[in-house]
Amino acid sequence: MLEIKNLKTRIGDTEILRGLTLSVKAGEVHAIMGPNGSGKSTLALVIAGHEDYVVTEGTVSFKGQNLLELDPEERAREGVFLGFQYPVEIPGVNNAYLLKAAVNARRRHSGLGEVDAFEFLKLAREKMTALGMDPKLLNRGVNEGFSGGEKKRNEVLQMTMLEPSLAILDETDSGLDIDALKVVAKGINTLRSPERAIVLITHYQRLLDYVEPDFVHVLSDGKIVRSGDKSLALELEERGYEWVREAVNA
Amino acid sequence: MKHELLSIDGVRDAVRRLPDDALTPIREAALAHLDEHGLPTLRDEDWKYTDLGPAIDISNRWFAAGARPDTSDDIAASVDLITASIDANWLVIANGLIDDSRITIDNGLEVLRFSDSPTAVNMERPLANLNAALLRDGLRIEISATMEKPIGLLIIDSANSAAGVSQASIEISVAPGCDAEIIEYQASTGEGDHYANSVVALHIGQGASASYVRLQNRGKRHVQTGRLSATLDVDSKLIMGSYDLGGRLVRNDVDIDMSEPGAEVIFSGLYIAGDGQHIDNHTKVDHRVGPTTSSQEYRGILNGNCRCVWNGKAIVHKGADGTDASQANHNLLLSDKAEIDTKPELEIYADDVKCSHGTTIGQLDEAALFYLRTRGLDKRRATVILTRAFAVDIVDRIPVAAAKDAIASLVESRLADLVQDVAP
Repeated sequence: MLEIKNLKTRIGDTEILRGLTLSVKAGEVHAIMGPNGSGKSTLALVIAGHEDYVVTEGTVSFKGQNLLELDPEERAREGVFLGFQYPVEIPGVNNAYLLKAAVNARRRHSGLGEVDAFEFLKLAREKMTALGMDPKLLNRGVNEGFSGGEKKRNEVLQMTMLEPSLAILDETDSGLDIDALKVVAKGINTLRSPERAIVLITHYQRLLDYVEPDFVHVLSDGKIVRSGDKSLALELEERGYEWVREAVNA
Repeated sequence: MKHELLSIDGVRDAVRRLPDDALTPIREAALAHLDEHGLPTLRDEDWKYTDLGPAIDISNRWFAAGARPDTSDDIAASVDLITASIDANWLVIANGLIDDSRITIDNGLEVLRFSDSPTAVNMERPLANLNAALLRDGLRIEISATMEKPIGLLIIDSANSAAGVSQASIEISVAPGCDAEIIEYQASTGEGDHYANSVVALHIGQGASASYVRLQNRGKRHVQTGRLSATLDVDSKLIMGSYDLGGRLVRNDVDIDMSEPGAEVIFSGLYIAGDGQHIDNHTKVDHRVGPTTSSQEYRGILNGNCRCVWNGKAIVHKGADGTDASQANHNLLLSDKAEIDTKPELEIYADDVKCSHGTTIGQLDEAALFYLRTRGLDKRRATVILTRAFAVDIVDRIPVAAAKDAIASLVESRLADLVQDVAP
């Protein structure tokens, strides 16, 4: 589904990704771990189409097409979803309005009609209840005055409503207490299917107790330096990232 | 740029062409003042950013062509459309002529003409002089009961000749204890050049309130200068909303005089300007006694090569202790060719006062724009949504419920138009 080959990007004069290669197939869940500043969020933003990041080398293909040629909105309509590490607050834009506009943008692109307003609200409320969110948040500005946990749940809500082919979740677990983490993990798991792929970006092993990855990668200095199965995450938790760096440099 | 002067001979000829009636002495007096003082220029502090050149040019061309009011009947369709869009008791001033055929007069509402009982005109303001000199007739509206429907004042002009000029003058008084709702709707049609000049004086009696909404939706070739002056009695309240969507050159003056304790004024404004537009809002609040309260917030959305001016002045006079005055002006600039000149001014001569002011100028939030795009909304749509979000608070504050939907939808389509030209 997603094929990244030798990807190099910079922002301003700083090179962040330095030849990253990653292959994600439908049905798979990948976890990307790594120390601060290793390029995890950059990878997520480049896949979503952030214009501040310049791709200097390499290719990214999604379902066989060149993802780098598409605008962010085209990527979203094709089924790429990014759950932001820091979801932005947008006062004055109603949360339900955005959710519906997003769902309809994707539906129109797939040749489907717009959602029925009544069915849409019913579904949104159900999903919010399942995520432990107050349905009243639908009528607030997007993320406006939301707690850290509410913002992350709102990202997961959008994801479950949009049903993307590829979901990239950037530190969706950070800022969540253990109960919230379980609820959010459940939400992510409902999306697991043979047609979809999920990439979890995280610092910690604990999310992976609830969303079991098929593959774990360690990103360091803009490259994937080690890949393995879920036992790699446990090993990292025990030995720290320094262990990987030393192993690479050795 | 060479500054053309208003042709006083032209004004004189135009005054003489009006019917000789009860207003003649007032017109002559106003003409004499105008002759002596002229119109404001860029050298006047209050007119530093706004050049009346286009208004003067249109006026002189109109004088030269015989100073005749536009009599085309294509305006009727627009009048029908507008009066049907808002459920109000409508008075129409079309091309400077009063048309009271649509209004229902009932208990508690009286509508008179200036010519029925002429009173002296305030001669301190040059544009009010021009208005009084060229005025065919004015309206005096007395509201002495709380009415079911708002009063609608439609000031509309058709610009079908090369140059047209029109005046409107309205006095409104709200009797003690009444709650009045008033809509001032200014519009114009046609492809010619037009200059419209209006004066509205509002008096709010003791314990009374007025909700006043002012919409300016003139054509892109049309010039408007308008003044609203309000005086507030003991414990009275004015809630105002001002919406500027069109016009080539627009200057609005709001002048509020609070000489009685317990008076309160809340006003909000929104101006939306695109290529070739110049919109200037000047407000002045005189707190002459305390306790009195004023709060104002104007927001502007600017795109293309345009210029807007906001100048909000609050004067807290000696002894006006207990005054609470706040001013805010926020601007969203969508183009690097757009210019905003914003200036809050506080003059405080009393000790026990609470005053605050703040202005901001910003661009679209790039992070929010990217966020919306990652949710599948294209850049244009995302821009419209964020621009609308910037305006929404002011739109929500439209103080006359009957006008809400109509104005909100005009704002919406104006914003959609404006954003068509956002640089990719």
